[in-house]
Amino acid sequence: MTETGAPLLEARDVTKSFAGTKALAGADLTLAVGEVHGLLGANGAGKSTLSRVISGHVRRDGGSVLYAGVSLDLKSPREALNSGIAMVMQETSLARDLSVTENIFLPALGRPGRLSHKLMRRRAEQILTELGQDQSLPLGAEVRELSAAQRQLVEIAKALALNANLIIFDEPTASLSPGEVERLFDVITRLKASGCAVAFVSHRLEEVFAITDRLTVLREGRTVAGSVETRSLNQTELIRLMVGRDIGAIYSTHRATPPSRGTPILSVRDLKSPPLVRDVSFDLHAGEILGLGGLVGAGRSETLEAIFGLRQRTGGLVQLEGKRFSPRAPSEAIRAGIGFVAEDRRRQSIVPDLSVKENLLLGYLGAHRGFALGYGRMEQKIAALAARLDLPAHRIAGESLLNFSGGMQQKIIIARWLLLEPKVMLLDEPTKGVDIGTRSSIYAILREIAAAGTAIVVVSSEFEELIGLTDRVIVISDGQSIANVASAHLDEEKLTLLAAPRSSMERNQRLLSKLAKDYDGAAFWAILDESRMFCLNAVAANSLADPNFTAGATPRFEETRIGAALSSRSREFIVDPSSGLKSLVVDVKSHRGHELGTVGLVLDPSSHPPEAMAVRDAIVEQFRAMV
Amino acid sequence: MTIFARSGSSSEPRGASARFKLVFAHLEVRMLGLALVLAIVLSLLSPYFLKTGNLLNLLDQSVVVGIVAIGMTFVILTGGIDLSVGSVAGLTGVILGLALQHFNIPISVALAIASGAAIGLFSGALIAYFNLAAFVITLGVMAIGRSLAYIFSGQTSITNIPPELNNLVYTTVFGIQSNVLTLLVLYALAWAYLGYTKGGRTIYAVGSNKEAARTAGLNVLFYSILPYVVSGALSAVAATLTSAQILSIDPLAGSGLELDAIAAVVIGGASLYGGRGTIIGTLIGVFIMVMIRNGLNLLGVSPFWQGSAIGGIIIAAVLAERLLSPKSRQ
Repeated sequence: MTETGAPLLEARDVTKSFAGTKALAGADLTLAVGEVHGLLGANGAGKSTLSRVISGHVRRDGGSVLYAGVSLDLKSPREALNSGIAMVMQETSLARDLSVTENIFLPALGRPGRLSHKLMRRRAEQILTELGQDQSLPLGAEVRELSAAQRQLVEIAKALALNANLIIFDEPTASLSPGEVERLFDVITRLKASGCAVAFVSHRLEEVFAITDRLTVLREGRTVAGSVETRSLNQTELIRLMVGRDIGAIYSTHRATPPSRGTPILSVRDLKSPPLVRDVSFDLHAGEILGLGGLVGAGRSETLEAIFGLRQRTGGLVQLEGKRFSPRAPSEAIRAGIGFVAEDRRRQSIVPDLSVKENLLLGYLGAHRGFALGYGRMEQKIAALAARLDLPAHRIAGESLLNFSGGMQQKIIIARWLLLEPKVMLLDEPTKGVDIGTRSSIYAILREIAAAGTAIVVVSSEFEELIGLTDRVIVISDGQSIANVASAHLDEEKLTLLAAPRSSMERNQRLLSKLAKDYDGAAFWAILDESRMFCLNAVAANSLADPNFTAGATPRFEETRIGAALSSRSREFIVDPSSGLKSLVVDVKSHRGHELGTVGLVLDPSSHPPEAMAVRDAIVEQFRAMV
Repeated sequence: MTIFARSGSSSEPRGASARFKLVFAHLEVRMLGLALVLAIVLSLLSPYFLKTGNLLNLLDQSVVVGIVAIGMTFVILTGGIDLSVGSVAGLTGVILGLALQHFNIPISVALAIASGAAIGLFSGALIAYFNLAAFVITLGVMAIGRSLAYIFSGQTSITNIPPELNNLVYTTVFGIQSNVLTLLVLYALAWAYLGYTKGGRTIYAVGSNKEAARTAGLNVLFYSILPYVVSGALSAVAATLTSAQILSIDPLAGSGLELDAIAAVVIGGASLYGGRGTIIGTLIGVFIMVMIRNGLNLLGVSPFWQGSAIGGIIIAAVLAERLLSPKSRQ
């Protein structure tokens, strides 16, 4: 192994086009031995394409790649594996019918020779122990039975099993809980220490700052900053590098006047649609942009599909304009005034063999009753809409949508629904694979139709986008809506902690229960900002000590029964002047020093509080060990 | 914005060669070109080929496979396949023959067509509702259909058929023989349906991307079944015209019809993956098939060589289509 800091991989001026669209237009990347290198860029900047070029999944059109000093021209992922390059894919590439062990060793199946199942099992156990999943991930289970987070972990284990010299992690944390992320970071730190070069692709800036040594920023297929020391940048500078301008220009500030209340246009209560949607409730008002936040696999897309009639519901009540609404098919939802931009454009939206104009008219065709087409009647509407959305006429007259850039495709798909003037628009990852220029125009379109009275629901895994675009966010975790927060009060960190899967809360729940029981009071875990708390979990053993908030609640300090303690953040027990409750709040951190919010212990007014110092140390210690 | 400027110019071809390319981007134009080349070659090889009598003969020979190919086009457009058309034609022919023993001609013909549609409904429902492979289901129906045709007919030809049935074929309207007129009318209807109705466009959308069609609110289930119903019904129409022409019904009738129909559709440029193909293309495909058969007969080529010739043309047609079609569609 070469010494730490020596370049292992040097990509120079790499270019790649897909169907006429340039995904990479001169990207450079240098990965050194023993470093964790962040690869950043806005959606559509070319991070994934560059990763896939290096890992042999796509062949570059131009440029050069040197690997350990030798020119690398991979024809397949197999060749990449043979040269010690592995990649953790963003969209999981697992074989659903095979077991966890078989999937972890899937690349080995392609090699000649006999496989020892015993050895495979032992090695798999070892890897999962490193990831902290030896208890929770059954080796014999079929991958189809696993949750999104577990699949992601299998994907990671698969890359680790290869003992590669270079591992690319493409958004490995999209569906992981904070605890799982911590374990992954431990593993990455170990890989780095053992001389591996690690490329880390992520949208989550706080993760990038936590784990990477240096970064490369891509914008519109070009490297705009190569191998910058992570420490030398702050978040604002990094965002400016990624988008080429201040973020304020993209997410214009929240509207001063929130949309008027009154009866919600769409009201969802206890919606169930197994396996992923378990209990979702929210209200949506006319003119409002509502976000569904959560991790990948939490059931956000499925919630939209269940509302739209694409997915069977097993329970709950949905009301549209006060009337019971349970469409059996999308056509009913469309006729009732709902539009749905699905997540996977290629699979769920684009009809490749129809012309661009017919694609634009597809929603109309679905809503249309009657034998004839009546396309003619729509001409004027199309022209008006095209002018509004800045869609040039020659593009609408185009032969195939597949020749368009992702952004242009998405504009056409959004226009497909706007043509029907919907009352409610549901959008699932509306800017996935959309270039930065078109993104801001999509935001502008959504704001404009919201201002005109359309109610909008947006699902986005980019928390920054979600917070910047929406008025309010419903946090969904493990198929349950657990919080309803005004976007103005949120930031990425709070949303990440709120969105953590309930299942990963088990240990935390045990810890809080024990705390509450030991001191015969109540315990909670929350994030506190200047004037507001975001409760992540709460357990009461003694009803007299109940502070009166539950998981997902986001009250202002004075709205709780322990306001005095929350605002003072004292190191001692504080007696609340109005409720008499005695409470202690303790900031907690992970063993990596990651801030994990605040734990509180609340005792009933008649109790004698124990020594604050001892309790605090015990809580800090137990929390550190937990994740 | 840069995105708009970049690709604006590329979609507007200029100059004569570009215009030529644009015209040839249309599949029907390419196929029509192939048909014309074939016609010229055959007329050079055989002076008899272009005689009116032979041309009328060509049309006459196109009727049965042409009608079945309409249904096959519908099915293939949705990404399916119907292997049962030949045996459905055989079975519905026998049903027609048996019905004629008891009922008048219109009722008997209606019964035959209705039973063809019912068989199509059966296959289509199994395929679309249970998401089963069209190839397997229609293969099964193909075997069942032929077997029932033998059983119902008592393993012999039905020959006591009212000679008036003949009128379905030999009546002349506007100077055109009625079976040829039926073919042309059915093609006109199918063309209008596929191009200009909600159902027709839905069939294309379902074949091109079922998931997207469902998300857009189209009735995927109904329009996945309908093509099989059309195919079954049209197989019965073809069987009726065959029976009317020869006034004898053989349980073996229609054997191999499925292959000719599929070949015509594929030569006509339809994609077996669905979503791509036109009814005009299919008609040209039918003519190409019939012309080759006819030409080979005129040239006195052994019937045993004809299979090789037709097979070769099919392979050449799909290969040419793949090589010539615009890249983005591949």
